[in-house]
Order: sequence, then C-alpha cells, then structure tokens
Amino acid sequence: MTFGTMLSTMAAGMLKTILLFVLTLLGSLPLGMIVVFLKKSKFKPIAWITDIYIAVMRGTPLMLQLLVWYFGPYYLFGFSIRGYKFTALLIGFIMNYAAYFAEIYRSGIDSMPIGQYEAAEILGYSKIQTFMKIILPQVIKRILPSVTNEVITLVKDTSLASALAYSEVFSLAKQISASQTSFMPFLIAGIFYFVANYVVAWIMNRIEKSMQYYK
Amino acid sequence: MKKFLAIGLTVLTLAMLLSGCNTKKEGKVFKHGFDLDYPPYSYIDDNGEVGGFDVELCKAVCEYNGWTYEAVPFNWDAKDAELNAGNCDCIWSGFTRNGREDDYTWSMSYSDNTQMILVPDGSDITSLEDLAGKAVGVQTATSAYDLLQDSEEGQGELCATFASLEIYDTYTIAFNDLQAGGIDAIAIDITSGNYLMSGNPGYHFLDEELGSEQYAIGFRKDDTELCEQVNTALQALVDNGTYDAIGQKYPEIYEFLCLKPSNAQ
Amino acid sequence: MMNSDNEVSKMTNFSEETVNTSNPEKVILTMNKIQKSFDGLVVLKDINLTVRHGEVVSIIGPSGSGKSTLLRCATFLEKIDGGEIIYLDKKAVTTSFSGKVCYTGKAEMKEIKKYFGLVFQQFNLFPHHSVLKNVMEAPVNVLKRDKAEVEKEARILLEKMGLADKADQYPCNLSGGQQQRVAIARALAMKPEILFFDEPTSALDPELTIEVLKIIRQLAEEKMTMVIVTHEMSFAANVSNRVIFMDGGVIVEEGDPKDVFGNPRQERTKQFLKSYKEE
Repeated sequence: MTFGTMLSTMAAGMLKTILLFVLTLLGSLPLGMIVVFLKKSKFKPIAWITDIYIAVMRGTPLMLQLLVWYFGPYYLFGFSIRGYKFTALLIGFIMNYAAYFAEIYRSGIDSMPIGQYEAAEILGYSKIQTFMKIILPQVIKRILPSVTNEVITLVKDTSLASALAYSEVFSLAKQISASQTSFMPFLIAGIFYFVANYVVAWIMNRIEKSMQYYK
Repeated sequence: MKKFLAIGLTVLTLAMLLSGCNTKKEGKVFKHGFDLDYPPYSYIDDNGEVGGFDVELCKAVCEYNGWTYEAVPFNWDAKDAELNAGNCDCIWSGFTRNGREDDYTWSMSYSDNTQMILVPDGSDITSLEDLAGKAVGVQTATSAYDLLQDSEEGQGELCATFASLEIYDTYTIAFNDLQAGGIDAIAIDITSGNYLMSGNPGYHFLDEELGSEQYAIGFRKDDTELCEQVNTALQALVDNGTYDAIGQKYPEIYEFLCLKPSNAQ
Repeated sequence: MMNSDNEVSKMTNFSEETVNTSNPEKVILTMNKIQKSFDGLVVLKDINLTVRHGEVVSIIGPSGSGKSTLLRCATFLEKIDGGEIIYLDKKAVTTSFSGKVCYTGKAEMKEIKKYFGLVFQQFNLFPHHSVLKNVMEAPVNVLKRDKAEVEKEARILLEKMGLADKADQYPCNLSGGQQQRVAIARALAMKPEILFFDEPTSALDPELTIEVLKIIRQLAEEKMTMVIVTHEMSFAANVSNRVIFMDGGVIVEEGDPKDVFGNPRQERTKQFLKSYKEE
C-alpha cells in the first residue's frame, strides 16, 4: 500500500468521522435543551425519568450504549435490524451527548442571578420571552467553555463507532496498521484528529470572542 | 441472556486491556502476550481466569523450562508495539505466520488453521459465489480479514462482490450481529468459528474453504535463542503427551493440532 | 467619573410623556390587610397602604422590618398569604372569607403589571444589552410598540438621565449610579402609573447616591407617583409627602415627614431615628 493510497483511504474515513460528529451535534445540542426542560418539569414523574435517563447516559460506557441501541430492538422485540447500524449509532451518540449538554445547560441556567428573572417579570415579559431574550443569551456565554470541552471530546469519541463496524478514521487506522505492520496510520489519524479539534477550538474561540462585548 | 453476557464480556475485556498487567517476579519470567478475546486459544474462562489452549500450553512450556509464567493480555492492534517495547516476550495467540514470515522469529507451527464462511442454517448461501451482494462480517486485524483484503494471493476479488464488508472489533459482536440478522455471513478462522458454534446451535460452515494457514509463536527478530528454548520445550511436551492432553480439552481445535512426537517424524 | 452636577443640570423638565399628571385625587394602589410569612415567621401583619396619584411615600425602618417584602408583595414578586391588592380599578388579589387567597387571571394580571415599575437595589440591568436596548426592550417586546417611536422616547429619557452619550455602552462599563439611572429610565419607558424603589441607593457609594437621589427628586417635582423604601433619612424627609415607619411587620407610625421626623409619637420611632443620628 503506497502512502498516497493510505492517506486517501483514511481521508475517506475522516469524512465518515466528521459526518457522525456533525449529525451528533445537530441532534444533541437542541435535544439537550429539551432534556433540561423535562428535568425542570413540575410534573414530578417526568423529572424523575429524566434524572434516571441522565444518570444512565453518564454512568455507563458509551460503547455499551451503542451496542444496546443497535441490538436492543432485536433481542427485546425481535425487530429486524438490517440496515439500522448508522441510525443506531446516531441515536446512541445523540442520546448520550444530549445528557451531557443538558447538564451543562442546567448548570448555566442555575447560575443566573434571580434578579434577571425578577427584572424581566416586573417589565411584563412572559416566561418564554424571559428565557429566550434574557436568560438564554447570557447562559450561552457562560457555558461556552464547557460546551467547547464536550465538543472536542465528541470528536475523539467518534472512534467508539467502530464497535458497530462503522469505518471511521480510527478503526481504519487500526485495520491498515495491522495489515501493513506500520504505525504510520495511527500517526495520520492523530494528525487528522488534531486538525479537526484545532478547527473546532478556533471556531468556538471566535464565538466566545464575539460574546466578550459585555461581562 | 447469553448474548448480553457476551456484550458485557466485551466491555470487561476492554477494561482489562486498559489496566494492563505489570507484576514483577524473581527468576526468569516468561511474558506471554496474547489477545484476551480470541477463544479457544486465549480468553477469560468461566471463573474469570485467563484461559485457552495457548495459555495452557505456554504455562506448560514455562513449567518445563523452570520459568515463571506471566500473562500479558493486550489489544490485538497493539501487539507489535507491545512486543517491540518488551512488554511481552512473544505473541502467542492463534497467531498466523503466513504472510508475516519475515516480520518475526517464528517457532514451529503448532496448529493448522483454515478460514471459513459461517452462515445460519437455512441460509440461501451455499457457496462462495453466493456471497455476492451479501453483507459479510469479519474481525479487524485477523487472518480472515487480511485474506479478504489481499487481492493478489488472497480473496480480495471475492470480497469485492460483497454488498459490504463489516469490520468489527471482536467476533463476539460480529456473531451477535449475524444472530440478529444485521449481516448474512462471517468470515472466520475455523477454530474460532467452531468455538462460537459450540455454544450456539443453528449455524454451519460452507464446505468451500476461504483459505488456510498455520499458527505459530512470534518472537522479536533477534530473540532466536528464546525461540529455540520454546521449540525444544514444545517438542518435549509433545513427546511426553502433555500437548495432546491439553488439546483434548479443546475438541473444537483438537483435529488441527499438527505437532507430532519426534519418534514419529 | 463624570461630574454628576453637570449631568444632573441637564435633567430638568420631565415632559408630559414621562409623568402622568391627570386626575390628582385618583387612588393608584390600595393594599388591605396584607399578611405574609416565610416558613412560619410572620413578616407582614395586617398592613394597609393607600397611594394616591402624585404622592411620594417613603418607607423607613430597621432591616427585617418587612419594608422590602411589602414592596415585593405589591409587585407580585412574593405571593401574599392574605389581604387584597388593588391597582386603580382592577383587583389583583382578593382573599375570601375562608382565607383563600385568589390572584386574578393571567390576562388581567398582565394588564395590571403595566401600571407599575420597580427599581431594584442591585439595578438588575440586562448585561448583554446596550443601555439603549435595556430601555427599549420591554416597550417593544411587551407593549408591542413601534420600534422607531420607542427609540426616540428612550433617547429622550436617557438624555434626561444625563446619559445620552452612554446609549451604546454596555452596563458593565457604567458606574453604579449610572446603572441605576439606566434602570430608572428602563422603568419609566413603560410609562407606569406608579414607580417602586427598593433601596435604590443602598448599593452605591455616597457620591453616586447623590446623582440617583437628584433624579428621584426631579421625578417627585414632576408629580410621579412613587413608593420608596430607603435608608436615606434626610432624603425621605425632604422629598416625600408621607413617611411610613415599619418595624416587626407592622406600620408603627405614618404621616407627614415633618411630624414623623420632627415629632415622632411612638417610642420605637424615636429610638430608630435616634440610632440613625448616632451613626
């Protein structure tokens, strides 16, 4: 295998990594917000179920969750799982990351001073207006560093998709390394991850800077 | 239940691989490097202990040479790094020498191995040609995988006819997926396949072989002396019947054991 | 720091837009037999308070006397345990004979909330909005008024607060006194019938206190109806039409500032005022 072939094969794997990464973010960032609302629900059973969901998502390995999401429908209900692998991967990643994002959002919302809510209430803002116009914009600024951490972790966590035979860049690196008895694929994968995370950090840094106009 | 146990074991394996193994003992310590999830050659047995044909044979070799046995289970992908770093003295875990002849110092071959296609009973796949357009599973970095990737001497052309080649971290997951209907067939070593089928009736091999090879013990290239000591011990264990006795505990591979007593050669 | 006298000199003549001067005898707020306790600890006992149009009522008293709680009950930040609250002709809270406290429906409550504004001790400006946007946001979002028109009014208000040049700044770049003046402008932009102040200068240094008090004094001259919880005794004496001294959750003494400060009838009032002079 020439270096060029190795590089192009792994670049294709990197695209699959990025696809999983982007779709997971698109799903889990908004879902996390819904989870926070469910957790803060005044109807206690919903709040309890949400607590259990977050505890399970954070308390068990993501790889195990992926296997359960994929094999669960067959072993529990006998459903055919043909062609369901990528969907299962997405569900697994999104559900897991939504739980982490929900906790980050919650800590941000809880850190808001009560005075902001009271000022909005006196001015006649509805609950939704208060959240969307006063609370959320400030929460986003507060939680951005934690979100950045989580997003960078996600880039690396995509390698767990190999558990469901998803040929992302790291499992390709393992395969090529084994067949070529070479460490080079790991080096290439490392560079790919580093570049991807550098881009993520740069983008997040820009967003953070754009919010530094106030303290 | 058994299937979820298998999933649980996979996770446990990972945890153990991460923790590694670093105990210090006096005298000559022989560090046996192996894949923890490659039954029946090396695996965790029902008591949670490390076991398998290769493990037992290696322990017998150590006992014969007066060495202290040390288990070094590792991630199969990291086998070369582990060996070159000196974390283990050998790779001894159903390790195929074919195609890697020049990369290691090899012991004598102690077991034959054949790569087969494993399908569920009642499958419409009856020959290698029938695999065209099917989803086939394989474990990464195994001889079956190498065979399907090799277009010159292996089965690369056959692989190109598959609808997809699904590459798993372990055969346990691949077999789960076959049971659940996620894939149509598994390309696997005959011994590993036999082991999987022994606990799960309702599966069979295609008659046609995918390929064949020999298992041996791989040492660092400059470790010829150690290799000779192991070879001598192996032959002695064959001659005194230990090799055969251990082999009989593993009926699914017994027929592939290829070492013969010295008086018969 | 800007020269506060210079700033304040610009703030003369609040227009008709800022302060509603019609109907001088109109009762704006009536609070009857207000009861409030926290975890069994009684904070307000049978408080009665009536505020008429153009009145400036100062509430004084030691900390823990319930004066801030009274303000928070009047603005519905705290729910009362008994009594009634009426704004103009609208009953916001009533209590039945059986003691059940009943707040009026959401729609009417929304209308009632437009009658009053509240200036907080800690300003509670929205840090992510510019000064101008802080003043404009509620009229645009809550009252659904025309943005251009609101901006025009907001700039006039800021000018009267001596903050015309701060319109595009963010609250974090302003002094405490300037922030509190923005908060007053924000409250006035809603054109309330009555404005509550909850210790508006307690978080400020003495020199910054002066600029805020000058604004409130200016509003008083413009006949803005106000209820002010304060520790500034001389300010309360000079500006208000009526002083209320609260202690232990009850109104101990109430009347013309000249009488309350100059010739208090109750022993507790005397003690309280004496302790203030000693400080």
